[in-house]
Amino acid sequence: MIRKRLAVLLLLAPFSAAFAELWEFESAVDVTAASNGGKANFFHHLDSAGRRNIATNSDGVAITWEDDRDGTPRIYLAYKGLDESAFSREVRLSGEGEAYEPTIIALDRSRYAVAWEENGHVMTRSVSIDGKVELGQVVQLSETAGAQANLTQGNRVAYALWSERASRYGRIRYRPMTVDESGTFQLGEGCYIDPIPPADEQLYPTAAVSGDELIVVWEDRRPKHTIIMAATGQSGKPCQFSEPLRISEKPDGRDLPYGTGHGVSRVALGTFGKEKVFAAWADKRNFRDGYDIWGAEYTPDETGFRTNEKVQDDFSGLSKQRNATVDGHANGLLVVAWSDEREGHTDVMLSWREQGEWSDDWTVSVASGAGHQNNPTIALDDDGNLHVAWVERKAIGGTTRLKYAFGKLQGD
Amino acid sequence: MKLLSLLFFGFLIQPTLSVADAPKGYPFQSFDEAMTQSQQESKLLFVYFGRYGCGYCEKTNQEAFIDPEVKRRYSEHYALAYVDAESGKRLRLPSGERITERDLGTRYDALVTPVFTFLNPNGESVYRMVGVQRIEDLIEADSKIQSALAKARQ
Repeated sequence: MIRKRLAVLLLLAPFSAAFAELWEFESAVDVTAASNGGKANFFHHLDSAGRRNIATNSDGVAITWEDDRDGTPRIYLAYKGLDESAFSREVRLSGEGEAYEPTIIALDRSRYAVAWEENGHVMTRSVSIDGKVELGQVVQLSETAGAQANLTQGNRVAYALWSERASRYGRIRYRPMTVDESGTFQLGEGCYIDPIPPADEQLYPTAAVSGDELIVVWEDRRPKHTIIMAATGQSGKPCQFSEPLRISEKPDGRDLPYGTGHGVSRVALGTFGKEKVFAAWADKRNFRDGYDIWGAEYTPDETGFRTNEKVQDDFSGLSKQRNATVDGHANGLLVVAWSDEREGHTDVMLSWREQGEWSDDWTVSVASGAGHQNNPTIALDDDGNLHVAWVERKAIGGTTRLKYAFGKLQGD
Repeated sequence: MKLLSLLFFGFLIQPTLSVADAPKGYPFQSFDEAMTQSQQESKLLFVYFGRYGCGYCEKTNQEAFIDPEVKRRYSEHYALAYVDAESGKRLRLPSGERITERDLGTRYDALVTPVFTFLNPNGESVYRMVGVQRIEDLIEADSKIQSALAKARQ
């Protein structure tokens, strides 16, 4: 049903008025009502490698974040059923240490896996929400210091990735894992994505499963500036990855006498269509504009990642764009959202790709306006509806609220 | 030996630490360390927002920060902070919020690098310079700031 509806939308797109709104958003709701008794400000952070802080399944939506309501940054999860108007269940996931940058995936109809950094190590646990909330045991994934965790899954296997610091530099490591009915993780063999010891930092990994392939991308500083690199592995062949290749392109004519190259920041991945993957990141190749949102598509039957393409439109001038988040649908719908300051305040904006073209940039109405609506994370559900969460604050440095909105796919 | 051990384990417990491009020979610190110094010594904070591999940062380092007079003035007059605007290294703001250097760069509009911002001990920007700076630019900025401070003290 949904496939047919999306197909119709795609066919109608050329005749619509410059990409009419694809989703109609309901009013934003608070994800958490937690307070610290008015003692002091506390701050929510919705950040993770790959910006995967929200996950949906057929029953509900779960969001994970960090806040310091009791004075220490800790990891929390909130859940609401798809038929509920508000988040009804909330649980703390991390232990006693300082914890940051949680990432989440839906394992099945009622279970999620969350990974985060705590006291300088990468931890994970499962969360079962079937009437009541049940937490699995916390498992430490990193062998030495680690951070910037990301989770992905495919073919009934979950994959955890992180930047591990066994020596001077962070190095991308991965570990496959499965979860049994009791919520216990069975960990597979872990290894570094690049077997050659790093010459500089490898940071903020994220991954996606495309057919039998696991595509891993990350920030890499080996050319003495930050680039995005990728490697692919195949299921059934653990710890055998292709040679890492640069996917963020070097712009022509930029051989300056100083410096080593332009900057890129925080890559995100999403799968869409038939085994396609899209990577999006903030890119400073047009250095006078600051960062813009760029990306590249991965097609398994071709030579990997294609030529880079600018995701956002050209109407943003010198304003800031950052915090790209990506998701897609098996029908071919692909959407990228980000933080954007072109209107003089920080809004959540997005663009979706139809018939190979990016739509005009479109402001998420309920995540825009005075103040700052920042750090978005998105997820498309099976019906093509768009779930968006973000951090809201009235003023830079001020106290925060964690918000969520449901976008109903139009075209019924 | 003890110092070596501390340095070694210091590396291990800093999982998001990244290499940065502060000019050599200056007492640049992390933002929160410099903020503490700024408050304790009632000095302005001079924040250098750079980026790993940034060409105009390197040019300013090699052609302006290399000057002995610039080095003397900035080392004496300010608490110096270097912020890598792409780094995930964490710092604590005076409000208690823990954010990354990248987030700090966004908050202080380090849209292009380098950006040089003079902050008061409350973290409020009082003067800002964007892009490549020459020796005379840095000396002129310092003179203006010091002159304004002297007037304020009268």
